[in-house]
Amino acid sequence: MELTLNLDKIQSDNVSKYAKTILDKQNPYKNFKIENYKYAQLHRDITSETLLRDIDISELLRISKNISSLTSNPVDLASDLNLWKYKNDDSFFRVSSLLKRDTSSINLDLIDDKNLFLDISQINENIHFFKSSKNVINLIIMNSKANDEYPKSIFFDISNNSNLNVIHFNISNYKSFLYFESNLQDNSHLNFVSFQSDNIHTRNEFYASLNLECNFDLFGLNINNYGVNDNYSFIQHLKPSSSSREIFKSIVEKGAITNFQGKIYVDSIAQKTDGYQMSRSLLLDDISKANNKPELEIYADDVKCSHGSTVSKLDEDQIYYFKSRGIDSEMAKKILKKAFIAEIIESIKDDNLRDYSNNIIESLLT
Amino acid sequence: MLEIKNLHVSIEEKKIIKGLNLSINKGEVHALMGPNGSGKSTLSYVLSGKDKYEIDEGTIEYNEKNLLELDVDERANEGLFLAFQYPMEIPGVQTSFFLKTAINSKRKYLGHSEMDALEFAKLMKSKAEELNINTEMLKRDLNVNYSGGEKKKQEILQMSMLSPKMAILDETDSGLDIDALRIVSEGVNKLRSKENSFLVITHYQRLLNYIKPDFVHIIADGRIVKSGDYSLALELEEKGYEEISKSA
Repeated sequence: MELTLNLDKIQSDNVSKYAKTILDKQNPYKNFKIENYKYAQLHRDITSETLLRDIDISELLRISKNISSLTSNPVDLASDLNLWKYKNDDSFFRVSSLLKRDTSSINLDLIDDKNLFLDISQINENIHFFKSSKNVINLIIMNSKANDEYPKSIFFDISNNSNLNVIHFNISNYKSFLYFESNLQDNSHLNFVSFQSDNIHTRNEFYASLNLECNFDLFGLNINNYGVNDNYSFIQHLKPSSSSREIFKSIVEKGAITNFQGKIYVDSIAQKTDGYQMSRSLLLDDISKANNKPELEIYADDVKCSHGSTVSKLDEDQIYYFKSRGIDSEMAKKILKKAFIAEIIESIKDDNLRDYSNNIIESLLT
Repeated sequence: MLEIKNLHVSIEEKKIIKGLNLSINKGEVHALMGPNGSGKSTLSYVLSGKDKYEIDEGTIEYNEKNLLELDVDERANEGLFLAFQYPMEIPGVQTSFFLKTAINSKRKYLGHSEMDALEFAKLMKSKAEELNINTEMLKRDLNVNYSGGEKKKQEILQMSMLSPKMAILDETDSGLDIDALRIVSEGVNKLRSKENSFLVITHYQRLLNYIKPDFVHIIADGRIVKSGDYSLALELEEKGYEEISKSA
């Protein structure tokens, strides 16, 4: 694949120069050796004969307010393209999405409803969310049937003492490349759950920046995919006493490739950071692949950080135990797969949304 | 009920069972005793249908069916139950959910409708109380962080809820303290009837004080070397395996 990006709308020479450097030197669509993108295979056109299924969102729309019509407030992010706030290489997805697309903003404080729904596959722009209140909002971000090789960005600015829960359904996409950036100010909380299923070629980037005493939970679930499905996370702890907890689980089969690459970065002044990262993959056959690459980069000396990564298959002895109690092998496998991912579904705090997610996952587990 | 004839079993080309004969009738309790490595656990796995074991020779008939032709889950649903020496831990699966799935699998196999939730809850509660199992424990993941004794009680709970025709207890007494041993044995004794048979595998005569067997067999090097009644267990306790095997 190759992206055609237009630098004309950039006024400043500085920004233009910066953008050119990123596009030339860090373009994973041209160069498959760029470290942060090394498993994503963006230089290839990954396709599949598979017809992707439709998912029924009527229940989601019943329990939430559709805010798609509110995405008309333009905001100019492209002019500050070179003000990258993260402690590593800029994301190619961020830069290219800001060059390619306009950005709309949504102030979540102006909406009274508790559960909000936004289908980003129906929107061409990047979205910039603001949240500066304590009240609990569950924001459902749907992305389905996307077939778009250009990256798209979703930004979250979460002010001091604010909370937000995000549930991302990334289901039945042909091509989808998303960049999520979450900037958490002091004492704020973000709970982010990403369900990914039935996709052919996807990559999701999760960047988060944590200030004083804030808390970021990121849970990912990747099942029943085709082709190449890639997750990348970079979580930076910039101020003391913040915590992050990240769990990614994937069940890989039918020759699919699932990748997880994640880094926790702890700044030298971010003492008392508590960071946790776990990526676990269940491989169901001999032709599928899971690449897990956990990373820690720590410059403070009084922190608690751990990471773990496993790749395994279903345990034959466990299946035998089920069968010895009369439960057939197909049922045993289904129960074991569900047990493997239960932790992710349980991380959804809202009862209705958890039930909905549970039902949809149940129907997707083959 | 169970008829094993001239059974030869190997695993990875190593012969473990070498011509074993055993016949268990309806309502009988048989004890199988033997030293480490004599083939006791192999026999229990072969009966339950675990793969990796090669049947080189012999036949096993169960309830007029060729047992060796049935898959593991079919054997279980036909009423064969193995209480494991080392029950598996299943993280993420609630014990009560597992029990319910097992019961309903058997009912489905037998052509019955599913047990309703209330009936199941009642059954589980009464059986758990009989075994002195706290029902709170059944909300936990199956066997995860259970003590050795709790795991064994859990096996007996599964057995009493599935009410098998032929139950094999593989060293159920190992890892049990005296109180747990008594409770587990009482659980087994409650299931004894003219219709049900048991094969109790153990190293020690102590368990047989609680579960009185009709027959005692001594297994050594893959075959039964001596059979008798309960007094054989007492003789064994006195003389040890080596002397008994020699005199056989």
